[in-house]
Amino acid sequence: MAIKVPKEREVPFGAITPAPVGQQDLFMTSNWRIVRPVIDNEKCTRCFICYASCPDSCWSYNEKEDQMEWNWKFCKGCQICIYECPSDALSAVAELDFEDGVVRLEKPF
Amino acid sequence: MAKVTELTVWTRGVVMDKEARDVANAFANAAQKEGKFVQAFDNYEDLPDRVLVTTRKYTRISDEEIPMKYEYVNHHPDIVVIVEPTIVKGINILKGMPEGGLLLINTSRPIDYMLKFIPNADVLGAIATVDADGISGIRTVDFSGSEGGVDQSGIGAGIAAPLLGALAKVTGMVKKESMASVISDVASMERGYNEVKIKKFRKARAEYFWGS
Amino acid sequence: MAKELMLSGCAAAAQGAKFAEVEVICSYPIRPYTAIMMELSRMVANGELDAEFVHGEGEHAQVSVVLGASAAGARAYTGSSGVGVTYAFEVYSPAAGGRYPLQMAIADRTLDPPGDFGSEHTDAMSARDQGWLMGWASTPQEVFDNTLINYRVGEDQQVMLPQFVCQDGYFLSHIPDKVVLPDIAQVREFLPPYSAPHPLSTTCPVSHGPQIKPDQGAVMDAQRASTFLIVPEVIEKAVADYNRIFKRNIPPFIEKYKMDDAEVAFFIMGAHANTCKKAIDQMRAQGLKAGMVRPRWVRPWPTKQIAEAFQNVKAIASVETSTSYGGAMRGGNLVHELRATLYDLEKRPLVTSFMAGLGGDVILFEDFHFMAKILNQMVKEKKTSKHVYWIGFEED
Repeated sequence: MAIKVPKEREVPFGAITPAPVGQQDLFMTSNWRIVRPVIDNEKCTRCFICYASCPDSCWSYNEKEDQMEWNWKFCKGCQICIYECPSDALSAVAELDFEDGVVRLEKPF
Repeated sequence: MAKVTELTVWTRGVVMDKEARDVANAFANAAQKEGKFVQAFDNYEDLPDRVLVTTRKYTRISDEEIPMKYEYVNHHPDIVVIVEPTIVKGINILKGMPEGGLLLINTSRPIDYMLKFIPNADVLGAIATVDADGISGIRTVDFSGSEGGVDQSGIGAGIAAPLLGALAKVTGMVKKESMASVISDVASMERGYNEVKIKKFRKARAEYFWGS
Repeated sequence: MAKELMLSGCAAAAQGAKFAEVEVICSYPIRPYTAIMMELSRMVANGELDAEFVHGEGEHAQVSVVLGASAAGARAYTGSSGVGVTYAFEVYSPAAGGRYPLQMAIADRTLDPPGDFGSEHTDAMSARDQGWLMGWASTPQEVFDNTLINYRVGEDQQVMLPQFVCQDGYFLSHIPDKVVLPDIAQVREFLPPYSAPHPLSTTCPVSHGPQIKPDQGAVMDAQRASTFLIVPEVIEKAVADYNRIFKRNIPPFIEKYKMDDAEVAFFIMGAHANTCKKAIDQMRAQGLKAGMVRPRWVRPWPTKQIAEAFQNVKAIASVETSTSYGGAMRGGNLVHELRATLYDLEKRPLVTSFMAGLGGDVILFEDFHFMAKILNQMVKEKKTSKHVYWIGFEED
């Protein structure tokens, strides 16, 4: 007689889980931010230093529109890109100045 | 069984962790001085050693001995204190709050602006804001996370003091004098006590001072 | 001049080590016991405690370092949790067989995989055959008491055994409760300085743990087993002294709660016993004669006292907060030793076990009432229909 586990508490066999490829939607860290980086596309020289310096890979290059795209779901507001940008294209703006742009979670994780 | 008032403090790990712990502990200590049964502890599952992650601290207050001391979280917080205002945007802080609860936010922004970020605000009995950063802008960086147990020294320095003053005024659960005797920065606490702004929504439950 | 503070179990353990004036501490971080070492490092840095604080490179190194310190004649202290306890496993038998009375504070944590911080007793329970003294506390005050009592018993010249002072992770280690700290003078009266009979020394050289032949192996084992036959008397005397000096009323071996006229009883260890006591009050208010026995020691197992406490009880629920996969009852650890304890009684009570509080689960009042319901059923049917129930997974 196996021990019955309620459906909502089931866990995978041996706690082995599939690994995420690219971006996953189980653990969003957008609510860690206090400030967000705002880009001025006129000043941006497309040098890709923000893309290289972000520890979470939150900057990517949008080829069609020829501008840097910011991942609002995962940016934690560490401001490394703002400090590293050589052309002053990035500035820190309080997250509360924007009405959206954060995934609202029911519980921390 | 007497009612257990649950208080949850939301903060951010490492850079503001100590402030929230001070709020939870000092509130509990002050209530204990007035003869209540209290419990104050950190959330265990939050892994607070990550900078800026949302973490929680809890306090429970009751007129009789608290029956269940081991629950990991406060499932139905009557009072929620937000130490860093951006937290209201990204997480459902009012989850489980019974009708007529209280929300206290550390911010200089107007109350109506903050309400835009809280879709389920109709459960609230009152919302209050106090500009703790403006009153006493000190925040301590504390790398001991929640592993240090209960902080017995220097409670209430920094932004915790105005928050505690505001809590004392708005909840009416502890007297200002009891609070002053347990914390170290009484001047900021007094300012928080006087400068808190409160907006009441409707009649809260009878046990809540902020309802009438 | 006793001081009353609100301390968590970890802080209480650190205070216990400080009052015991330990001389060598070896640390390595693992949650949840790590708070003990943080407190102790702060005390050593401030000058409150004059001890050698060594940071080991792993739990195996931790126990090896304090084993060496104890062999040289120092009072040594260390600790661990969860997989740290199992990492140090190799050194447990040398510590006990070499008769070094070092102390290891354990704040329980579930064993991997995967990473679970919650409390489960399996980590320390899996080391109970290594020849150490071992016991679980249920309040921070008890953690403090056990730290001092274990040093006194372990360092007794007839005993000379290392000790595990165990507490539940989080429930006991991180939730504060009232602790009364005594005077250092009282502690010194209770706990004399450690004097090793044959320490490692340059002036009087000795060999510790040489190679032996198989025909001496059983003799070594018998020597260690004989020690455990006299440990109970040493415990009784130590606790009697503790009660006298610190004006307390601690039972030496087991804590009994409302057992005088109990018809059904719980056998439970650790912090959840506090919830159990409140649940028993609720049951008594409803007319059910329930009681609780909480063993304060797992090694030495208080066989006589447990058998005496349970002799008139009809059904017992053993609350298992540890696992023994594939064990005789296919459940937890305590039930095997409990059944062995009760085997020789004239009227054997019915015994069943409940797997509860595993992985850090909170045991709720409803769970205890569910257990009482099963016990009542057993008493009515006069038999045990199921030996292991998994709390939270049973449909009732």
